[in-house]
Amino acid sequence: MALSTSRTLLRSFASLSPFARCSNSTSYGDSLWSSEPRAIFKALLQEWKLGFPSLSRALYCSTADFKKNELLELQEVEKVLSDVRADNVKVIPVQKHCAWADFMVIATGRSTWHVKNIAQALIYKVKQKQKGAQRLMLPSVEGQEGGKWIVIDSGKVVVHALDEKARDYYSLESLWTTGTSEKEPIQDLEKALVKIRRKNNSKKQAKKSA
Amino acid sequence: MAATFASKCSRVGRSLWGGLGNNLSGLLSASHETACNHFLSQQRTFIQMRTVLKVVDNSGAKKVMCIQALKGKKGARLGDTIIASVKEAYPNGKVKKGKVVYGVVVRAAMQRGRCDGSEVKFDDNAVVLVDKQGQPIGTRVFGPVPHELRQKKHVKILSLAGHIA
Repeated sequence: MALSTSRTLLRSFASLSPFARCSNSTSYGDSLWSSEPRAIFKALLQEWKLGFPSLSRALYCSTADFKKNELLELQEVEKVLSDVRADNVKVIPVQKHCAWADFMVIATGRSTWHVKNIAQALIYKVKQKQKGAQRLMLPSVEGQEGGKWIVIDSGKVVVHALDEKARDYYSLESLWTTGTSEKEPIQDLEKALVKIRRKNNSKKQAKKSA
Repeated sequence: MAATFASKCSRVGRSLWGGLGNNLSGLLSASHETACNHFLSQQRTFIQMRTVLKVVDNSGAKKVMCIQALKGKKGARLGDTIIASVKEAYPNGKVKKGKVVYGVVVRAAMQRGRCDGSEVKFDDNAVVLVDKQGQPIGTRVFGPVPHELRQKKHVKILSLAGHIA
């Protein structure tokens, strides 16, 4: 009984797959394709109980809870960066003010070739991790041609590889460490609504009403 | 103004912080009823040649005019790249008036569908200037930017932005 229901649910899952592919973030891990049937069954049962709200999003979230394999973990990133000998590696937890990423890792390369090498090393690490899997989920890489600033987006962890000049120019740490302070200017709106009497500095003599 | 996502349509209002807080939020909510009908009946379209867009980074430009939408026959949408000419600029900035630059559209008045069925649209058309390789020219982005930029491989602009819709 349970087996037949799981099979029907799996078939409906297969029909859902075109929707799943158009999901917003491609880098939320390969959980759909490599997770076990039991995990899919549990996820679909949850979906079913909720009454099929939004197809792919809930599916991604629920399967990600069961099998936590991200494309790149924080420790692996740190290890790779120390292997490549990147300078000035900084990890910033941005869970509080960024909804789309958990950690930002910034690394500096000594030259454009070095920066490209850091990106290559991280991608190689991801490929190694996924050896033997049917499909390779690679993180998205931006800025590969000009080696000034390369961003590797692997879901929770976003790695920025810059060279010295770009690091000084963009100053990303100051952005994220003081990210919460940017919300404060909203409070000044209350002051803007207060009516202030104009200052009368005119030297004209005031009218003396009889 | 908080961004609320309804099931069909969502509106993200113009960002008031960033020193432009002259709009009275009380007035806006009162006139929203009368303005609502007007807004709902207006049909917003793509960003095409001669569209003037606002620049929301600190690269030095204020207004640019689109001269080419790089992808799409009808025009550019949210998250697309355009070629634009700087029409108005701050006196000492990295770009000057008359320069031809590339830009990424970060806010568009035309609604863009998301894959969960909701739509997102903004009050204005705004762009962030980039160079040919996709590196942003400015160092900070003001106002809200949508999630669509992640899918379009503009994570750099997302990371420079303060508020993500």
